[in-house]
Amino acid sequence: MTATTGFRWLVVPEADMPEPSRELVGGKAWSLWRMRSLGLRVPPAFVVTTKACAAYFEDDDLPEGLSDELTAGIRHIEDQLGRTFGGTERPLLVSVRSGAAISMPGMMDTILDLGCNDKVEGALAAESGDPEFAAEVHRRFTGFYGRLVLGCTEDLEDLPDTAAVRAAIAEDVGEAVPADPWEQLRAAVAAVFRSSRSRRAMAYRKHYGIPEDLGTGVTIQAMVFGNLDDDSGTGVLFTRNPVDGTREPYGEYLPRGQGEDVVSGRVTPKPLAHLAQRWPRVHAELLAAADCLDREGRDAQDIEFTVQRGELFLLQSRPAKRTARAAVRIAVDLVDEGVLDPAEALTRVTAEQVRTLLRPEIAPGAAEGAELLAEGVSASPGVATGVVVDTPEAAQAHPGCVLVRKSTSPDDVHGMIAAAAVVTEQGGATSHAAVVSRALDTPCVVGCGAGTVDTLTGRTVTVDATAGRVYAGELATSAVDEREDADLQRLTEWAEAASPVRARADGAVEPVFDGDAADVGEELPAIPLGTKTVRGAVFCTPDGVRAALDAGVEVILTPHRLPVLLAAIAHDRRTS
Amino acid sequence: MLDPYELTVHSLTLRQLGTAEQLADITGQDVAEVEAGLEKAVAAGLVMAARGSYLITPAGREHLDGIYPRAFEGLRADPQVAAAMEAFETGVNKQVLALTTDWQTIEVDGARVTNDHGDADYDATIIDKLGRVQEKTAKVLRPLSDADPLVDRFLDRIGTALTRAEGGETDYVSGVRVDSVHTVWFQMHEHILRLTGRERPE
Repeated sequence: MTATTGFRWLVVPEADMPEPSRELVGGKAWSLWRMRSLGLRVPPAFVVTTKACAAYFEDDDLPEGLSDELTAGIRHIEDQLGRTFGGTERPLLVSVRSGAAISMPGMMDTILDLGCNDKVEGALAAESGDPEFAAEVHRRFTGFYGRLVLGCTEDLEDLPDTAAVRAAIAEDVGEAVPADPWEQLRAAVAAVFRSSRSRRAMAYRKHYGIPEDLGTGVTIQAMVFGNLDDDSGTGVLFTRNPVDGTREPYGEYLPRGQGEDVVSGRVTPKPLAHLAQRWPRVHAELLAAADCLDREGRDAQDIEFTVQRGELFLLQSRPAKRTARAAVRIAVDLVDEGVLDPAEALTRVTAEQVRTLLRPEIAPGAAEGAELLAEGVSASPGVATGVVVDTPEAAQAHPGCVLVRKSTSPDDVHGMIAAAAVVTEQGGATSHAAVVSRALDTPCVVGCGAGTVDTLTGRTVTVDATAGRVYAGELATSAVDEREDADLQRLTEWAEAASPVRARADGAVEPVFDGDAADVGEELPAIPLGTKTVRGAVFCTPDGVRAALDAGVEVILTPHRLPVLLAAIAHDRRTS
Repeated sequence: MLDPYELTVHSLTLRQLGTAEQLADITGQDVAEVEAGLEKAVAAGLVMAARGSYLITPAGREHLDGIYPRAFEGLRADPQVAAAMEAFETGVNKQVLALTTDWQTIEVDGARVTNDHGDADYDATIIDKLGRVQEKTAKVLRPLSDADPLVDRFLDRIGTALTRAEGGETDYVSGVRVDSVHTVWFQMHEHILRLTGRERPE
């Protein structure tokens, strides 16, 4: 409860209020309060509490008084920004998002730009001087509402305008998006509440022993506009380079842009240096905030920000996406900076990331002069050399071969498991061959065109699935050696100390079970009771490691130890 | 409709190599019933036994091809079923394949790379979309599930896989060696293709 009001169902997260309970306001609103208390400027917001959610389910309706409090909450935002919700001049739009104390699947996504209708669109167009932008905001809001509140499952993102989105929604669910912003808001809040008891959220809680009646909060926050004038813009900032992990701010700024513009790729943003030139004060404030969030978040952050009339607003800060190389670098750096201990650093790097780094590549220059036999779409990266076969049965009989098919289906999976690489004539990045190869971490090139099976069968080829090419003969490859990379070496030492199982290149403890010698099928081979050591490619995959741990195995023999150790630690963490 | 024996042989076209327990899990039959059916099918040369697992033989496939048109005559003549299949192929099936790709790969700085599952929000979004598509699929396939109870069973198994994936067992989205969303989805797809006598589009 805040000093500002005597709200029964709302909390307004002000900087000077005491820490709100996560149970009451949910994790997202809590982090909003956290940003505010760090002195960072975030757009004004309020939260409908989980208590209101519980009351909603008691009455099967929004609890008494909530409607009035929503009005009061919005008025509070209007006062701060000098805008009007549903107004015909300087309209206020808001985002509506769910937030429970424990993050749960099945809960509703964020609705952006709520409060829009035909009149508001007109007002936005007049204010921004950009009717196209206003139309885009309206179209996007209609899609969000149709999908999240009305439950439309049609693809609405690619439709050209609001009218088309409305038509698709009407066709799919037979309902319309209300024009009244207040009705939109009440319906959105109720939809968030309901989503906490969706069939899937319930199933999840039951499966993981989370209390059944755990409700959700609803955060309602003002949208800010980076496209108002020349003194406005929007951007993203990574506190560390997401490609190589170096500790340097990295980002983009789009003058006169809105948040989605940067992500959509419709326009080319400028480097952050542009902001430094145009608005040195804002730039300095942004870098200070980034530093603070990196330290507070104890991880590289991906920060979304908007500048509205020369004023910086932080919209979101979350752990940044990163390449495998960057993940390793950042985890080790954070230990050196004294932010993480080694055990925690291990949770920041996944087995998949290390496997990616250890993937062999065609040696520099090796492809020059090699005969290119086929070319297609890279579906699962990596390099492999082998004899080409054209049936799954032949692939099973010759493990390590290259399987080439017109296309693949579940009938071919046992052959795909045995093959070192998969090539197809038909299909794209979403084809069966692509999906299954990625799941198996098998190099795969798809869509090489008719005749590929006939051209390749019987030859020895090298598949460079990273580049989507198939060469004649055996090409030299090079790979990162985990023992020669200082960062990987340190992670391996830490992982050894934390792992419930030993991973070694050799040194089996009897009795040994060889997964490669077992039947190659779609199932994991059953590990005989009392087995102390397992070997074989299948036990280097995450599900293989899991099976080995569940069978009480002590040693996994593998050429690459770190991915196995990380998978084992992750499994151990999940089950204990 | 298929009789219990035919259903057992049919289940081997959905899962290439399976134990009696695994096949019973697909069809919902008694394990004892499946075992009896498999024994009979092995004797008839329709099925091969291999170390506790079973495989269908070319003769077994031919046998089924002779049975389907009769067993599913009514279903195949139903225009609502045909419309449902069309909607499935052009709609939710494409969505599931695209979402599986989104699950496996992620965009970092403009390039698509393997999803290392380090971004929980991203993963949650994909699983959430898969969940919505699964719910929609139940509606799309209603004419088929009205005629054949196995269709609902597949959708339940996809839901189970989603729940496990949501709990952090990431290979339950597209893993090949477990009953992942993708694995069960492909089984279901194969099943309904056989019901309706259609070819898998590529």
